[in-house]
Amino acid sequence: MNTATPDPATIEVMRKTWQERPPADNLRLHDRRTRALESFAQNGFPTTHQENWKYTDVRKLAASYPECLRTVPDGTATPDLVPLIDKDALRITFIDGIYRPDLSTVGDLPPGVFAGSVSELLTAVPGFEAHFGALAHDSDSAFVALNTAFAGDALAIVLPDNMELGQPVYVRFHASTPQLGTQPRVMAKLGANSRATLIEHYTSSHQAIVNSVTEVSCETGAALNYYKVQEEHREAWHTAVQYIDLARDARLVSMHLDTGAGLARNELQVRLTGKGAAADCKGLFMGSNNQHVECRINVEHAAADTQSRERFRGILADKACGVFNGRIYVEPEAQKTAAELTNRNLLLSKGAEINTKPELEIYADDVKCVHGSTTGQLDEQSLFYLMSRGIDHDEARNMLVEAFAGELLAGTGIEAIKQKAQQALRALRTAGQ
Amino acid sequence: MLLEINNLHASVNDVEIIKGLNLTIAPGEVHAIMGPNGSGKSTLAQALAGREDYLVTDGSVSYKGRDLLDMEPDARARAGVFLGFQYPVEIPGVSNVYLLKAALNARRKEKGEPEIDAIEFMRFIKDKAKLMELDEKFLSRGVNEGFSGGEKKRNEIFQMAVLEPDLAILDETDSGLDIDALKVVANGVNKQRDGQRSFLLITHYQRLLDYIEPDHVHVLANGRIIQSGSKELALELEEHGYDKILAAAS
Ligand SMILES: Nc1ncnc2c1ncn2[C@@H]1O[C@H](COP(=O)(O)OP(=O)(O)OP(=O)(O)O)[C@@H](O)[C@H]1O
Ligand SMILES: [Mg+2]
Repeated sequence: MNTATPDPATIEVMRKTWQERPPADNLRLHDRRTRALESFAQNGFPTTHQENWKYTDVRKLAASYPECLRTVPDGTATPDLVPLIDKDALRITFIDGIYRPDLSTVGDLPPGVFAGSVSELLTAVPGFEAHFGALAHDSDSAFVALNTAFAGDALAIVLPDNMELGQPVYVRFHASTPQLGTQPRVMAKLGANSRATLIEHYTSSHQAIVNSVTEVSCETGAALNYYKVQEEHREAWHTAVQYIDLARDARLVSMHLDTGAGLARNELQVRLTGKGAAADCKGLFMGSNNQHVECRINVEHAAADTQSRERFRGILADKACGVFNGRIYVEPEAQKTAAELTNRNLLLSKGAEINTKPELEIYADDVKCVHGSTTGQLDEQSLFYLMSRGIDHDEARNMLVEAFAGELLAGTGIEAIKQKAQQALRALRTAGQ
Repeated sequence: MLLEINNLHASVNDVEIIKGLNLTIAPGEVHAIMGPNGSGKSTLAQALAGREDYLVTDGSVSYKGRDLLDMEPDARARAGVFLGFQYPVEIPGVSNVYLLKAALNARRKEKGEPEIDAIEFMRFIKDKAKLMELDEKFLSRGVNEGFSGGEKKRNEIFQMAVLEPDLAILDETDSGLDIDALKVVANGVNKQRDGQRSFLLITHYQRLLDYIEPDHVHVLANGRIIQSGSKELALELEEHGYDKILAAAS
């Protein structure tokens, strides 16, 4: 089946589900959400015939709609969750897409941090509707449009100028109901010279369908540390896009860690719109068994003197399949851009596979851009060297895999994320035997 | 006997390199192997350490009465065999300390000893580093990462000093060392000589043997030991080269 457009019956069910949303929300965002829904109805799910989806077949995932859009009957499930970060952080928890004050440190939320339904958010922050779906375009993909149409609860951070959020904001999106589709939504607006650290953590205890969208705009001189950790259930479907815009002299430091889900596709969209903006993005993705993990990054340099560095590494075992697509796009006015994009992959078995495509698209003449990618297996000579010192094969292999990931993890500000990565590497090794 | 090699044949990529080699090493002995480039010295060393692509096609090797060829490389090392590589590999991301700790604990585990205490371990390796005149900053660096040729060789001997093997096979550890480093390395080896530990030194230069006095010197040519003698043989080779011996052997 190559047709992308869902059949009219499906669309009808979706419209009905959509109309049953809280009226307050629908009033304020009615137009924006309607547009999103109509965009979806028109374009449908992507197929592998589309360049951006060439390696990721979403037919099974698509078939779970509209059924997965049902709402959970009570929304009071209280799973025992181990937080990634348990102290010195503002903890915000969403279970099955529903904001849970009882599992969040909401009492401590400083002014400017908001968690709850989108409609409440709009009441709390007048004028915010203009930002909802401003960076995330419906035409980007069916998943982005669906999220804009259906996202119920959301996390929003609105920092005034010069405000520094001392503690990181740690948001947990946990899916606990099998076969349920959730649309996590995060929005942040960092005022001039403000600073924040945001950590998104995705988990699920069953096969779940998680489709998230994050929109962040950083004003002049703002600094964002962004982390995303995805370790969902091995049968979960995870699609996510982050849009991050950086104004003049704004700074982004980011790290993505993808270890879970049967099918995971993450897309990071960074736009450097102001002179002197800079982004340093890192990512580590890994897979074993039949996992499929796609990691995409697109960095647009739209102003002069902007800098970016993207370093991504993949580790794949068994029959896992990885896709890396990285693009640096330099607009004509973005003179003196400096950008560096690298992707390195390690294949731990003959059945593992990676499709990698780093690209540069440059329309300015005075720029310094480099890109490259390498894919290889564990080095036999190194393995032998370690074994010749008495270290057994598995441990030696483990040391080399950790070393490969370690080069990327070095300098990651949040220790818990490093540990999470190391833990996943150990599990990968065991699974890959 | 510590090591007994009988009629060893070994191939690399289907080409026979070791062609019926015999060698016996008693505990406490130092043997030196010399020989022209490409004669098979490193092949012998790597085959003894258990490198997979050095395929043993015939013969036997017994080490402490065990069939060495039947053991995995890591098991050989834990049983006390150490190879100092002619070309040590660089392993970025795995620090020297991390490697040594894992290696040392693997040996201890084999002997039924508990893991070494972290503080004791650091003290131990710092002492050994001092002995090898190796700057402490090398300890935390990646294994051989960005080391100069001489530093790599010194690091091999440092590892040997830490692991205290029963049989150390040192493949051209002296090549690329300056005079001072050569003395340090020789000193490291001599400190380990206790009448029980044995050494197989592969070298091109008689100079090393001035510092580490061998009990036996062998000439390896074309995959076989064609002559053995006392340390005077090395002096003779230094003076006349291999031509005469090679001619006599053929
Ligand atoms: N991996 C390999 N593939 C093909 N040929 C090999 C390989 N390793 C060794 N050889 C060949 O085996 C022969 C012996 O090599 P070896 O390294 O054992 O010599 P060597 O005596 O140590 O020499 P040198 O004194 O130069 O170190 C050489 O002809 C070499 O080219
Ligand atoms: Mg050699």
